Amino acid sequence: MSGPHLSCRGLSKRYGATQALAEVDLDVERGSIHALVGENGAGKSTLGKIIAGVVQPDSGSMELSGRPVHFGSPRQALEAGVTIIAQELSLVPERSVLENVFLGIESSRGPWVLRQALRRRFTELTDSVGIYVDPTAIVGRLGVSDQQKVEILRALARKAELIVMDEPTARLSKSETHALAATMTALAGRGTTFVFVSHFLDEVRGLADTITIMRDSRVVRTAPSADETHDSLIVAMTGRPLDMTFPFKIPPAPDAPVVLDVSGLTSAGRFADVSFSVRKGEIVALAGLVGAGRSDVAHAIYGASSVDSGTMRINDAEYRPSSPRSGLRAGVALIPESRKDQGLILDRPVSDNVTLPYLRDVERFGLISVRAEDEVAEDRSARAGVKTSSVEANVRTLSGGNQQKVLFARTLMRQPVLLVADEPTRGVDVGAKRAIYDLIVDLAAQGMAVLVVSSELEEVLGLAHRVVVMHEGRVVASLDGFVATEESIMQAAFGLSGNGESSA
Amino acid sequence: MNKVGAYARNYGIVWAALLLFLLLAITTPAFLTVDNLRNIMDQQAVTLIVAVFATIVLISGGFDVSLSAVYILAPLVALRMMESNQSGWILMLVGTAVGVLCGLLNGFVVAKGRINAFIATLATSLIIFGLAYLVSGGSILRITNVDMRAIATTKILGITSATWIAVVCVVVAMILLERTRFGRYVFAVGGNRESARLAGVPVDRVVIWAFTLAGLSAGLAGSLNAARTLTAQASDDFGLVFTVIAAVVVGGTSIAGGSGAIWRTVVGVFFIALLGNGFNLNGIDPIVQRIVQGLVILAAVGADAWSRSQRE
Ligand SMILES: Nc1ncnc2c1ncn2[C@@H]1O[C@H](COP(=O)(O)OP(=O)(O)OP(=O)(O)O)[C@@H](O)[C@H]1O
Ligand SMILES: [Mg+2]
Repeated sequence: MSGPHLSCRGLSKRYGATQALAEVDLDVERGSIHALVGENGAGKSTLGKIIAGVVQPDSGSMELSGRPVHFGSPRQALEAGVTIIAQELSLVPERSVLENVFLGIESSRGPWVLRQALRRRFTELTDSVGIYVDPTAIVGRLGVSDQQKVEILRALARKAELIVMDEPTARLSKSETHALAATMTALAGRGTTFVFVSHFLDEVRGLADTITIMRDSRVVRTAPSADETHDSLIVAMTGRPLDMTFPFKIPPAPDAPVVLDVSGLTSAGRFADVSFSVRKGEIVALAGLVGAGRSDVAHAIYGASSVDSGTMRINDAEYRPSSPRSGLRAGVALIPESRKDQGLILDRPVSDNVTLPYLRDVERFGLISVRAEDEVAEDRSARAGVKTSSVEANVRTLSGGNQQKVLFARTLMRQPVLLVADEPTRGVDVGAKRAIYDLIVDLAAQGMAVLVVSSELEEVLGLAHRVVVMHEGRVVASLDGFVATEESIMQAAFGLSGNGESSA
Repeated sequence: MNKVGAYARNYGIVWAALLLFLLLAITTPAFLTVDNLRNIMDQQAVTLIVAVFATIVLISGGFDVSLSAVYILAPLVALRMMESNQSGWILMLVGTAVGVLCGLLNGFVVAKGRINAFIATLATSLIIFGLAYLVSGGSILRITNVDMRAIATTKILGITSATWIAVVCVVVAMILLERTRFGRYVFAVGGNRESARLAGVPVDRVVIWAFTLAGLSAGLAGSLNAARTLTAQASDDFGLVFTVIAAVVVGGTSIAGGSGAIWRTVVGVFFIALLGNGFNLNGIDPIVQRIVQGLVILAAVGADAWSRSQRE
């Protein structure tokens, strides 16, 4: 069979006043890995959802292997061999891998599920595709990359031939990303087609055969990945020449006072004897592998989880937060790791989400002044670069990256003394990343102490004045951010060195 | 298609209520009279008072089955306390206080005990119904001081005081929900508990307050009803809660929490009231009435579930 596996012509989609997709043409070859890149809100997810029948286009047509198709629902798409793996995985966490993979398509006789037959089918499936996961493992206990494998197996068990993956690697560590890439490459070799969205341009170039660049709801161009460079992608995505990815590092004053001092912080089973400090104007990165306990430490500092022993001081005063409220009161702000599960109230307007922790600031005579609230929300959203039709729009209608920026807008409500940002640029496009970096550097320059938890080494190196590396719940190194290298951080993160400049 | 769906979901109930109103106005001569309309308002006062605060509980992600029990217990306690020297104000005051205490109990059990709100309030219902029997000794308590009816029936500008109290409750609930920190917290807790907690929302306190207000409203409504009917009696009838939840849901507040509005509940209460009134005026069998009410609720909940599945 020649001709493309999937061919779209003139796809358009409008949400109220927003044109999410305009006249998009796309050809995807069978057995290829086809990447979609573009800034936040460019329409990548919308295109992916249309391909997989999750949303329906206003106009335009699609052909699958040369036959016209209309998907009224994800189910119809799946029947035609097309499915999507969304960023929020849709597995049942309490059940086993086996059950998840065959959920709804179990081998059965009457009401009885035939476990033996299921096991056999599982082995056949994994052998034929070359992905291995323990079928008896409980999905909720697996790492994210293994969970993604389960999602892929599940798609393949349903005979999916074209799989759309929306930011599959946003939550993965480097090695997990490699594992997923290997899986995708192997499957593509056997004829499975992938359409995937990612903001990691280097990863995209390494993995994809073809790259489609989108901007402002349109396709800019589609080209073989070998023809693109990091810079050519950025220029096409943003429509302007690129500037440096990271802003210039401004070191804190040599005599800058310590804002946060953590000493011997321990929480049984999560982290132990964690000590470090952050000075006024300093950006400290908490690096390490996923699962090293960095987010737990971040939560403890904010007061979102309790500690068993150890002390914290803020501006030399004892600090024992018992709840996020007390953290906020002491001037600590947190941008949590998962904007959807921990950060935002998706079905409320942007303005409500921005002001939520600081409603007192927009009260007049004890009542919320909607005018004052909208004004301040508009101002903070603009400063954080949130693109939205209005601050009255529900956060759910914003693209992923813009949702993330809403959380930044929130921290701009007041000037916290300490900002703790857990994976601050997850799911954010290159241009917006730079905007967030600028914001962080700016806040630090104004005297805020900043603690950034990040799994992206580039980001750690590009931002941090100091890098505190954790391994299995312990601080194993504290490196000077001006001389640290990827190697020195990784060595410590894997628990190999132990001879970083001894921790402070 | 999607847009039509969203619109129907957002404002469908308003059109449905208007349509029903017009239909009744045209087909049923006894409907569009000042007396009938005034009666509907007066009869719905009690439901409305409870429904608007139950709306707040639902938006916060909770559920309160015990409102019926509180509604029944409150006037009994007040009447027992007064014995001879009966006064309308004391009835209202004590009844409301009983409601507050019951609400606090519910709130604490749900928030601190981390028990599913439906189950928790089902359990407290049984306790409160039991107390009602104990307090009343199982007999009907009568109000001998007939003047006490005035609390509920005094006409001000042609409208009964019970209706006025309901209007005040509606306005207070609206302000609370839309214009105060508490209201924002209610939406946040119902929308995403963990996000709310991490944004510094005192989640437990919000839950306790929501239940307390609902309890208060049930106590107030129960006392008002006793003053109007001059009797109070223990029973384990869940009727009020059904009407209240039906009105809230038909209005379009989601039982999943996180979204809804007071005006919706007001429309929901009157929609169901108009339906009942229309049936009564046309002499239709009350059994048929119930069946139709059930269908309407199913349609409303179905629309909610459907629109949820439509959104990504
Ligand atoms: N359900 C919706 N209702 C209203 N507007 C929407 C909805 N979904 C998406 N949009 C809008 O459509 C546009 C394209 O969104 P889309 O999610 O496709 O962007 P994206 O390229 O995936 O961005 P990101 O990189 O941030 O994930 C955005 O302006 C977004 O606000
Ligand atoms: Mg997206």
